[in-house]
Amino acid sequence: MTALVMMSFKNQLGEIERLGRVVTEFAQHHHWSPQVLFEVNVSLEEILTNVISYGYEDNREHEITLRLAFADGELTAEIEDDGQPFNPLEMAEPELNKPLEERQVGGLGIYLVRKFMTELAYQRYEGKNRLTLKKKIAPEE
Amino acid sequence: METTETKTNGIVMLGLKGKLDTTTAPQLQEKLLAALAGGEKQFAIDCAQLEYISSAGLRVLLLAAKQLRSGNGKIALYALKAHVKEVFDLAGFSAALPLFGSQSEALSSFTH
Repeated sequence: MTALVMMSFKNQLGEIERLGRVVTEFAQHHHWSPQVLFEVNVSLEEILTNVISYGYEDNREHEITLRLAFADGELTAEIEDDGQPFNPLEMAEPELNKPLEERQVGGLGIYLVRKFMTELAYQRYEGKNRLTLKKKIAPEE
Repeated sequence: METTETKTNGIVMLGLKGKLDTTTAPQLQEKLLAALAGGEKQFAIDCAQLEYISSAGLRVLLLAAKQLRSGNGKIALYALKAHVKEVFDLAGFSAALPLFGSQSEALSSFTH
């Protein structure tokens, strides 16, 4: 496996399992620690789940593309979909200090992505959402 | 994800193994809601073999904890791996969903 991987997923939640396998293979190739693999896995699962669950109003099959690149100790992951415009960076932070009974769980996924990634950027262009995640990854001790 | 279930002294002991993610969370939700509907009020969740959790997993546990609270029930989680525990800490769930180091600590919390 090279330092660059491109693949596409259908808008079905069953694809999450395949995503996990791809990310794990990529991580092993680049000798990431289990902790880093976990953080990347969770982040990409959260993003892909959001796109699949909320991105489409029709019942048609859509293609979501993922591009993973690792160079100079930094992972860049790009997720592109043709769903309705959605910028996850605009989501409100979850109210972490509220009592359990009043807590809404919405936004928690994106919150985890923010914690686990170094940088997030969103672009809408040519009818597509493109989310770019970056993460600095130190070589495993 | 695989689950095991036993009952000891009125406490449902649920063991989670593998990944609690978008695809497996509905399985656990079904199990917990069925137990709640059956009148169970005390749950001890063994996380020693839980390798992975995402927000979908957190959501199910939060749902169960909310329902248990309104019915004077209780849920306790124990033996979480460090990276799994970190997700609970980040989410601010640790206060609401009590986490314990060992099974015996979790079980003794039910008597207090």
